[in-house]
Amino acid sequence: MAAAALWWALRAARQVLPSPCPVQVRSYYVDWRMLRDVKRRKLAYEYADERLRINAIRKNSLLPKELQEVADKEIAALPRDSCPVRIRNRCVLTSRPRGVRRRWRLSRIVFRHFADHAQMSGVQRAMW
Amino acid sequence: DKSTASKDSTTEGTSKKQEGTAGTPKQKLLDIIGSMKVEVSYRKKLQELKARESKKQALNRQDGPDSEGTQRTTEDIQRGKPLNPELVKAASAVASSFPLNKKQTESELLAQLRRHEETTDKQRKGDTVNIRNVISEMTVKRQSPAQRGVRISRRISLEFDEDSQRIRPERFSSQSFDSRRSLKVGKRLNIFTKASTEPEHALKTVSSPTIWDLEFAKEIAAITAQPPRNGFEEMIWWTKEGILWEYPIDNEVGMEDDAEFHEHIFLEKHLEGFPKEGPIRHFMELVICGLSKNPYLSVKQKVEHIEWFEKYFEEKKEFLQEI
Repeated sequence: MAAAALWWALRAARQVLPSPCPVQVRSYYVDWRMLRDVKRRKLAYEYADERLRINAIRKNSLLPKELQEVADKEIAALPRDSCPVRIRNRCVLTSRPRGVRRRWRLSRIVFRHFADHAQMSGVQRAMW
Repeated sequence: DKSTASKDSTTEGTSKKQEGTAGTPKQKLLDIIGSMKVEVSYRKKLQELKARESKKQALNRQDGPDSEGTQRTTEDIQRGKPLNPELVKAASAVASSFPLNKKQTESELLAQLRRHEETTDKQRKGDTVNIRNVISEMTVKRQSPAQRGVRISRRISLEFDEDSQRIRPERFSSQSFDSRRSLKVGKRLNIFTKASTEPEHALKTVSSPTIWDLEFAKEIAAITAQPPRNGFEEMIWWTKEGILWEYPIDNEVGMEDDAEFHEHIFLEKHLEGFPKEGPIRHFMELVICGLSKNPYLSVKQKVEHIEWFEKYFEEKKEFLQEI
């Protein structure tokens, strides 16, 4: 997790270290649906704090109901793509919406392909 | 005659140079400057030659000693401080004792005396470096034969480890040596003048590095970064990029929370902007209770959380009073 955080920090700072060997860089997403999913994720990250706070006002029984109704309207006014429910965990390589293993972020077909070619660390064909 | 000959040679040299080069005005200037330098050095040589000739002539003449002696004494008086008359007499007596070239030896002795006087004056003023002060601080380094063998073996072996770090024992030996002789002990020698710290021209004409500079820097970095020769270098590269963690694993990488535990838990002091009674206060106390139990947020984030609620309720104040 820390490594991932570091990696994203580097990307955000736009400090691209020159790699010693030419690395294949993917400059396009697999399809438009994946692109839309990426946009939704970004927006959800930006509005996460606000949504949490407004929901905290909405979902308690202490504050007056009028205030909660106002909060309802406010959260509905936020952009539609900012809610995390709209995010779909697609396969990272093929953008397949179904049959995706969360741990590897890969669809079942791609996972099988890599596992059979011994490119998945610690994955073995089951036999018992 | 000789000076004209030298000038001819230099002009010939410059003409040759000009033919060789492209003939741009800049290069012509450089050639002129170069030729000027050549002439100066030749001139110095000419002066030396002339001085030697004059000396030889002085030796060869040996005319009336009185006239020459008076000339020399006037010269002596003209140059700087006059010498002690007793010393002068002593010098003349010593010169007379010599078999040949009395005048020459006398002049040389007087010159030496003058130099000696100058040095003593300088020493009194404290301009020159007293070698005694320099040597007093120095000690002779003594190597034991056992250490010497170890050091030779170290020199033969690789200096650097694979991680490009020097082998540790060398560091310790240097440290022990420094502890014996500290740098700030002893009298000041005033050998080196303090380098005048020029005002650093921090602001260049271009405020930030231009895109071309950045591209150039990237190019250089890309060229110098060679592909990894083995797995170790690959791991080093991955660690630099951030793909690989640093071992031993530090659980708090990226987390720099310097706040104490009491700043995380006792958050009531941030509740000063809220009314003391009522449902809002009750709500905020619950919020604070939840924040105090949250180990994942920093103190700054928690304070921002509470301030957001403060701002929100400020905006809704008029609406709340209607109720």
